Amino acid sequence: MKNRLRPYYPLLPVFAAYLVLFLVGRNVTGMWQLAATLVFYCALGQAFNIFLGMTGYVDFGYVAFLGIGTYGMATAITGLAGYPQLGLGIVAIGFILAIVMATLLSMAVGAVALRLRGAYFAIATIGVNEGFRYLIEGANLWNGSSGMIFTAQLNEILGRDLSSRIMTFWADVMVLFIAAAAAVVTLLYMKSKIGYALTALREDEDAAKVMGINVTKYKIIAFITSASFAGTVGAASWALKTPYVFPPEVFEIHYTIEAIIIVMLGGAGTMLGPVVGALIYGISKYYLSIFLPGFQLFIFALVIIFIIVMFPEGVVGVIKGKTRNTAIAPYIM
Amino acid sequence: MKSFSFKPFVFLIVCLFFFSATSAFAAPPDEIVIGHPACLSGKYAKAGEQAVGGIEACIHWVNSEYGGITLDGKKVPLTYKKYDCESKKENVTSLIGRLITVDRVDVVFAPYSSGLTLRGAPIAEGHSMLYMDHGGANNKIFEQGFQYTVQTIGPATSYHKGTLDMVKKIAPDAKKVALAYEDSEFATMVMEGAKTHAEELGFEVVFERTYPKGVTDMTPMLSAMKATDPDFVLGGGHFEDGQLFNRQMSDLNIDVDCLSLIAAATLPAFYEALGNMAEGVMGPSHWEYGVTYSQEAAKEIGTRWIGPSQDEFVSLFKEAVGDQDMVPDYHAAEAGAQVLAYVLAAEKADSVDSGKVRAALGDLEFMSFYGTWDISDSGLQVGHSMVDVQWQDGKREIVWPESAQTGKPCYPMPTFDEKAEGEKALP
Repeated sequence: MKNRLRPYYPLLPVFAAYLVLFLVGRNVTGMWQLAATLVFYCALGQAFNIFLGMTGYVDFGYVAFLGIGTYGMATAITGLAGYPQLGLGIVAIGFILAIVMATLLSMAVGAVALRLRGAYFAIATIGVNEGFRYLIEGANLWNGSSGMIFTAQLNEILGRDLSSRIMTFWADVMVLFIAAAAAVVTLLYMKSKIGYALTALREDEDAAKVMGINVTKYKIIAFITSASFAGTVGAASWALKTPYVFPPEVFEIHYTIEAIIIVMLGGAGTMLGPVVGALIYGISKYYLSIFLPGFQLFIFALVIIFIIVMFPEGVVGVIKGKTRNTAIAPYIM
Repeated sequence: MKSFSFKPFVFLIVCLFFFSATSAFAAPPDEIVIGHPACLSGKYAKAGEQAVGGIEACIHWVNSEYGGITLDGKKVPLTYKKYDCESKKENVTSLIGRLITVDRVDVVFAPYSSGLTLRGAPIAEGHSMLYMDHGGANNKIFEQGFQYTVQTIGPATSYHKGTLDMVKKIAPDAKKVALAYEDSEFATMVMEGAKTHAEELGFEVVFERTYPKGVTDMTPMLSAMKATDPDFVLGGGHFEDGQLFNRQMSDLNIDVDCLSLIAAATLPAFYEALGNMAEGVMGPSHWEYGVTYSQEAAKEIGTRWIGPSQDEFVSLFKEAVGDQDMVPDYHAAEAGAQVLAYVLAAEKADSVDSGKVRAALGDLEFMSFYGTWDISDSGLQVGHSMVDVQWQDGKREIVWPESAQTGKPCYPMPTFDEKAEGEKALP
């Protein structure tokens, strides 16, 4: 029994961190919104890690998948507002739309961009993000540049009390579940043929090809999976938590930069890395903005440089190296 | 054995009851705290810095000149608790959560922009906390059913109302208006309002087209606009495209009687960049230094006056930001005026309870250095009038509304050929 569960040990510290975040948020006054922000960063990091961590490719257009997921949920709520009898079913439809739309976009992007490598891939993905945003604005899709504000529709469908609870609590809980699900999928991938193939291509793509690995197939699998999770994060954390969407906000590149920092800080390709990275990033930014408002970004830049210099493989990468062959090794992957 | 006496317990319970009963009739607090997730860094840092300066200036005035907020006959000082939200929505929610539950502020001032204001609204609403918006102009915020959200900044749809009213009054023969603006949430909403008001006034909208953000050539659009021969043009979006708009109208010799550009034409940099070509160009603004709102003006229209005079505000602002060269703009004025609205409403409600202050805000009308203030049932600002500024001989003159005028409008403005020869726009 013990041996059968051993492969899943790396999930324990991740779930423990999420449980602590939830309990602190619920029980310590004034902590819920901070916990929600940290959970958002954890989910963003976990989802991004599936692609960046496992393939080594840096997708600078990642926020586009969060954006399209936000539009998926927004479309469901505004389009089905005339059917209040669907109730919470509309939220479920919103998530399905978010996943489908993020998947379709990632397939379209992946078909082109994944043929490129290194800096060319990065540049192409930036172009996709900006191009998609301008397509929405220029073609007046989903109300174009005017965006969509749909708090009133959510109130109409679910009633003011329930929609308020969703905006201030349940949307954050949904993000927590998405983060946990992303961690489970990461582990399953790591323990399967997909993970081995991705590890091989991350280390040397040409060698992996020569060995007969269909690298394109595995890159696309990781890309679509990562994009689908991003779509659900956008649907829950942006569309449900604050029911509005303006194109410049949901395609803002700084979210991609934040995702990269979180993953690199914690340790790319590790299970626990995105969680550790998200906690360091989110907590230090929050308290610096409270105690040194206006100066936090400068100090934070120094902190990041220090951590990157001290822990080039990320915090979890270093811990993993130092705990090899110890009792806690099975928990750190 | 001595018998057990209940008397001390009964006495204790009576004391506790008396204490809790007196607590229920809450005594005025020692201070009233305004909480603010301010945009001190990030893309709205400039507007955020102005807003913080305006708030601090007016709080200083309330505490030192006005004596504090009168609650239950006691003067209570205002204090200000701010954090830096970095102009990011994730930070807005976590900081508003902290302000309400940890710092226990009495009112939350929204961050700058419609998006960030919308981000914080559900959190404030969830805590039944008064949420005052001085930087989110989107009308749709007030169509969402928020009960504790009120607006000080004028709604986007009102930006060009004054310009249209002015043209209607001084040039009754003008009929044709062209709308050409940036494809953005803000400019689109401004022009929606302009179009509606133009049609109400009987103008014919002969041209309406948008251009993308970051546009580098407007000549195809402007050529199409020229073919419709408009009497006046309303347009713009941001500073860069506003400049380009004016320059390329000059290149194409598109002479109209009036040109009003949002966001660009009111900035000193606009005239610095275009020189004489900017003469006569107008722009709407929430507030400009030079407006003539005063105690006397308030008395004339029969409304209450509160706050520092315009010059006092400017001086307090400079003191608050610690920079004598920094001049307050409308971001500072509207944020400062919001402090004054809160003061009057709290006094009217004789309470800092958000529900009571919100109700009092609904019944409130007053004038300050920022102008008049009144909100609709949904919290939308309906009392504040925009001012229209026109470049005349290198100076910004407030030409509309008449109650705030520092100079008469120059209509029609000189042609581009005349301006190239050095003619100034003088009334």
